[in-house]
Amino acid sequence: QSTEFSSKIETPDYILKYTALVSLDQRQSYKDDFNAEYDEYRLLHARVENITRRFTQLDSQCRKLAPGTKEHQKVQEEVVKEYKKIKQHSPNYHKEKLRCEYLHNKLAHIKRLIADFDQRRAQAWC
Amino acid sequence: PVEGSGDANCVDEILKEMTQSWPPPLTAIHTPCKTEPSKFPFPTKDTHPFPS
Repeated sequence: QSTEFSSKIETPDYILKYTALVSLDQRQSYKDDFNAEYDEYRLLHARVENITRRFTQLDSQCRKLAPGTKEHQKVQEEVVKEYKKIKQHSPNYHKEKLRCEYLHNKLAHIKRLIADFDQRRAQAWC
Repeated sequence: PVEGSGDANCVDEILKEMTQSWPPPLTAIHTPCKTEPSKFPFPTKDTHPFPS
């Protein structure tokens, strides 16, 4: 499976802003832009990853237990509890996730352009 | 008691929403090969052509 998010948005701004590289100066400036948002991206990514992992654990626990049992009920309650906790402590969770998806695609785009450029340069040396 | 518990649909919805697959993080950009031959054909803009 692809490691990228399929986005419903039309052409994202970064596609227009970042086009194929032609110079090393440009490479540096793309890289600077990448680095400028990379920390924010990693932070958001880790946060979403932790929460996703937690719910995936609960989900698989749920699946192992027979519905109607006390244990099953307990895990389900845990799911609701965790969910409420997130709603309460991170009311912007959904927004943050979207922001992270946007950054992921944007940074992947910039990274790909740089990789293409490096590859073309490497080939030029052969 | 947690209100809304016992609502299996609600739990299913939450799980569906919260367990969407999440790709691994992008890695940082590595520095390019440091060995940049000086003869690299830069499209240099600053070739000062002013012998005033």
